[in-house]
Amino acid sequence: MRSKLFAKKTMALTMAALMAMGALAGCGSKSEEPAPAEAPAETGGDQAEAPAESTGEGVTIKFQYWADNTDYSQLMQDIIAKFNAENGKGITVVGEEAPWDGGSYSENLFNAKMGGGDVDVSTWKLTSTPLFVNNDLLADLTPFIDAWDKKDDIDQNMYDVMKQAGGSDSIYVMPWNVQVLYVYYRPSIFEQAQIEVPTTYEEFLTAIEKCTLDTDGDGKTDVYGFGMRGSNGGQEPWGSFVHGRGGSFEDMTTAESIQGMQDFIDIYNKGFVPPSAAGDGFQQIIDNFKSGLTAMTIHHTGSSAQMVETFGDDVSAFPFPAGKGQWTSMGDTETVIFESCENKEAAFEWVAYLAAGEGQKMWCEGTGNVPVSKTVQAGDFFQNDRFMKASIDGQSYAGILPILDTTTEWISTIWPETMSQALTGKLSAEEAMNTLQEELYR
Amino acid sequence: MVKKRSIWPYLLVAPAVLVILCVVFVPVINAILMSFQSYDLRRPKDIGFTGLANYIEALGDAKFQSAFFKTIIWVVAGVGFQFLFGFMLALLLNKSFKGRGVVRAVSMIPWVTPGVLIGLMWSWIYDGNRGVLNDILMKLHLINDKIPFLAQDGTAFPGVIVTIIWQGIPFFALMLLAALQGVSTDMYEAADIDGAVGWQKLFYITIPSIKNTIFVTALLRVIWVANSVDVIFNMTEGRFGTLTMSVYVYQKGNALDLGYASAMAIIMALCLLVVAIPYLRSNFREEG
Repeated sequence: MRSKLFAKKTMALTMAALMAMGALAGCGSKSEEPAPAEAPAETGGDQAEAPAESTGEGVTIKFQYWADNTDYSQLMQDIIAKFNAENGKGITVVGEEAPWDGGSYSENLFNAKMGGGDVDVSTWKLTSTPLFVNNDLLADLTPFIDAWDKKDDIDQNMYDVMKQAGGSDSIYVMPWNVQVLYVYYRPSIFEQAQIEVPTTYEEFLTAIEKCTLDTDGDGKTDVYGFGMRGSNGGQEPWGSFVHGRGGSFEDMTTAESIQGMQDFIDIYNKGFVPPSAAGDGFQQIIDNFKSGLTAMTIHHTGSSAQMVETFGDDVSAFPFPAGKGQWTSMGDTETVIFESCENKEAAFEWVAYLAAGEGQKMWCEGTGNVPVSKTVQAGDFFQNDRFMKASIDGQSYAGILPILDTTTEWISTIWPETMSQALTGKLSAEEAMNTLQEELYR
Repeated sequence: MVKKRSIWPYLLVAPAVLVILCVVFVPVINAILMSFQSYDLRRPKDIGFTGLANYIEALGDAKFQSAFFKTIIWVVAGVGFQFLFGFMLALLLNKSFKGRGVVRAVSMIPWVTPGVLIGLMWSWIYDGNRGVLNDILMKLHLINDKIPFLAQDGTAFPGVIVTIIWQGIPFFALMLLAALQGVSTDMYEAADIDGAVGWQKLFYITIPSIKNTIFVTALLRVIWVANSVDVIFNMTEGRFGTLTMSVYVYQKGNALDLGYASAMAIIMALCLLVVAIPYLRSNFREEG
């Protein structure tokens, strides 16, 4: 009897332990121990030999990418099919799409690679570079680029940015395309609000206020001046406000930076943006603009085709105007080859095709992204488009967030969380900026 | 008669034991080891033993403390109402009425729907601009302006709690219905003869008869709800006062700070053990 009771007690304890352990199981499913860094001499030796590898006869390259919508998914598959059919070197690219998921793409990719995932090439964001380089996951592309006949078709500045991201003189990231953020606006609403396209930061703030309209006279706002992105990805348009007041990412605690944050909070509190703005992400700002709920919003040429499809001529764009400072986000997209790729030369053929070949032209024309290839940039498609013009006009002051090992978490968690607290009054502008500064430069 | 010992039973359970060891125990041991290290994959060169530093940091972390209390509310309100409505649904489905089979099948829909889809669906319902809830409330003249339910502190947490309640009701209903069907009708007939009224039969016959099922089901749900990430993450990502411990652990794990995430996960597991052990012990003691 006693032993039976003991057995039951033991069983009860075991059951409880097993069930509670479920909480830990997910956390423990970590990736494998990071490999120790190779000696520079060895790494250099491997890389020097890389271009001499086989030309990839009968080689398969596994390529992972994200696409913003189903049209772009199809476009990428078309590019892959064209490359496979025409490369003449027996290289077969197998494209697999993964969701961008508000930036979790990079984290998921990292987990996959640390766990031994077999992706050879992937589309990329510069902010992830330190993490992958620190863990020796990326192939050094320098010898491939140096030996590439189209190297000069891409501006040297792009290579310098890529080097900066990797923190050394080596290039780990292949330029592909950029997206310069600009302001979408509805000319008909500007006309209704009796304003012109703003040319200064102050005029832009005034335009936001004036475009907030009660169109049917029922005392309620029908059109909001600005489609604010308070959720993931919102740090890019927000950065323009901070710089508009003369602030910077290097020191977000200056009076100028705090004032930029205060402007952002003010347009929310004054009702110039939809009440849902604190939680709005990419899809919401696009939907709100397309439904006519907002008069302006900030995005890049990646959404211009659907804007034109919705509004025809009643949509246009202007570069984010200058205040004490001027900045807009250069949303970069690149490609990388992983160190684990066994056929780097074949993989380079593919990334080169995307950077300066037919793949560059097809992708940039299809998505409206700004090409990095000078030859492609010179084409009529890019010279005669009003959204592309706004992008090109913004290129001179476009920039990126500081690339640190904290940047990914800062973008995906810290900024949205801090911003939601600032917008809902739990943090002042100053407190919010102190938090953002502290977390980015931790 | 002496029973002959055979290796067969052990061989038969060996695969299951092996799988459990691989998918539960190895990661758990890994997590425990990592919790004592600075294990941030963004800074692989700094990985090393740090003793209780992660635990001390977690216990002093205001965000973690807030998440702890939010988790208590999340579990108590979520599981409490799931039980209440699940029990009501089970009592209803235990009665004979026309179309009962269809109602039983339909009532299971929330339980079989993936958490991610539930999060998306309720996000649309609560949407501050085009959500059906705002539309209904405005048409009923209950509100004048649309409410961004999931983008403000006062409504976001109740919003996600309602969602988890909706998701969990069928599980309680299913388990309790099965238990109800095992309660002998003789007891109700005897109670009728003694003049017992409805509530007396409920509290003196029905509930005591299915007590063990209620215990086990509630315990399972407490652990599942406490560990649940998908609904909150898909609706608010833990913002606007909805950050529970499991979501915070997920965020830190996703940010690759695995040492800190592991320490928080272990604290959470210990908290759940505190709930689970006395619960199961008392349950088994009564049975014994």
